[in-house]
Amino acid sequence: MATGHPVVLPGETIDPSLIPSHPKNPLRLGPGLRHIPPTDIVPTVAGQLITNPIKNSMWIEYNSNRYIPSPNDLILAQILRSTTDFYLCTLSPHTAPATLPHLAFEGATKKTRPILQPGQLVYARVALANKHMDAELECVSSTTGKADGLGPLGTPTATSTAGGGCAFDISLGFARRLLMARSREEGGVGVLEMLAGEEGGGLAFETAVGRNGRVWVGSDSARTVVLVGRALQETDRGGLGLEGQRRLVKKLVREMR
Amino acid sequence: MPREAEPSLNEKQFVTQALQENLRLDGRQLDQYRPLEISFGDQYGVADVTLGKTRVLAKATAEVTVPYVDRPLDGIFTIATELSPMTSPAFEVNRPTETEVLLSRLLEKTVRRSGALDTESLCLVAGQKCWSVRVDVHVVSHDGGLTDAACVAVVGALRHFRKPDTSMEAGRLTVYTPAEREPVPLSWLHSPLCVTWSFFGDDGETAVLDATWLEEQVRVASCTVSLNKHGEICQIAKLGGTPVDAVALLQCTSVALVKVKEFSDLLDRRLAEDLKRRDKGGFMAELRAENDR
Repeated sequence: MATGHPVVLPGETIDPSLIPSHPKNPLRLGPGLRHIPPTDIVPTVAGQLITNPIKNSMWIEYNSNRYIPSPNDLILAQILRSTTDFYLCTLSPHTAPATLPHLAFEGATKKTRPILQPGQLVYARVALANKHMDAELECVSSTTGKADGLGPLGTPTATSTAGGGCAFDISLGFARRLLMARSREEGGVGVLEMLAGEEGGGLAFETAVGRNGRVWVGSDSARTVVLVGRALQETDRGGLGLEGQRRLVKKLVREMR
Repeated sequence: MPREAEPSLNEKQFVTQALQENLRLDGRQLDQYRPLEISFGDQYGVADVTLGKTRVLAKATAEVTVPYVDRPLDGIFTIATELSPMTSPAFEVNRPTETEVLLSRLLEKTVRRSGALDTESLCLVAGQKCWSVRVDVHVVSHDGGLTDAACVAVVGALRHFRKPDTSMEAGRLTVYTPAEREPVPLSWLHSPLCVTWSFFGDDGETAVLDATWLEEQVRVASCTVSLNKHGEICQIAKLGGTPVDAVALLQCTSVALVKVKEFSDLLDRRLAEDLKRRDKGGFMAELRAENDR
């Protein structure tokens, strides 16, 4: 986890020198911060305050146990059941079910929409998350109309036995670190790169990280899926650094061979 | 109402397929237990058992009550289990789920009906006064293997427990405080422990020990064998599920015996360590007024 960022507690007043100021862009508040008009910005959770002066944004990085949907989060949802217009999906046992409209898939029309079974995993984006309403998900970019990797995960094919892949539970903080654009430098997570790189002997697999604390791992061989899943879970549980992750990957690869 | 999420289709398929290739999600062998750890509290009769991510607390207590009318010469021994919402969102307070009922039934059958605790020794005055020993089992964290962990916890708590010493003089019953007389252990006859097998595959051909919660949700059948380290089987419970080959079951019991021996040894070792920790020893201890009698 990035160090050197100040730790804030809920309700604390934020030092004005920490708030980024940009001549043109408006200030954007991320998760864990609340704007009380006219001028107060108050943290609502305990965590590290991260600021980005270029984008003029600030948010709080914290590791909570309960996922609260917020817009544009990539999440791993599980279909609960279907209604006339949308699927109901669970994000985590404690959050209220989210809705995924039947037509929120790439190229979906009333006739060509995908039929999903209850229990199917879907990689989706949170489109709408209001406080007292069920969250709404989408599997298609509303601007481009492309799926961009979103959609139902791991439909088992005839050729691969483990094509369905498997989902693993991780902590919310670890999921966020995995999703960072530069996860190795900023988040301190290089375990996936190592598994695909020379330490792991070039394993072939694909992952979908959901911000709700679930990772889906797919590969042609079940052994690889188990290996990647274990590596992720043990990195998360042990709070391993980059060196520890390298050792873990080497150990697991030796064990599972 | 919050509820436990069912495992997704992907997970269900993957777990069964991987088990056919002798692979488990946590990299264990099929007949390998997660690390089992037992620790005892400062008080007598508190046992804390962790089995991987499963954690069970058991506390034994005793009080003097009136025996049941139909059993005037026996003491009372009860096991109470509680699965709190802390364990999983699926559990509610005061509304026992099927898991909880099955767990307490299995524990009763294993520990009580096998006569592990000599209930006659709990009788103080026939038909009038007896000890009522109660074990409360609290499941703190649930990741499968509840029966096995809870059984170790119950047996550990009862073997660790000391009840106040009593004496009868001219029809007067005296219960001594720990300061007056050293509490005495229960009259314990043997230590039955549970080993749960889970079966996977269409005909239950893959037998797996110590299933995690995910595996428990996917399995087609399960079978709990309770036995002590001498190989005496106290009960076998196979509640529904796919029929399993009798020869496979026999093999399961023989493997279970090996595991029970391991657990019994661990329990004995931990109890001995705890005794050593409590035993202050030395000259000053002997001089104290409250020394052992």
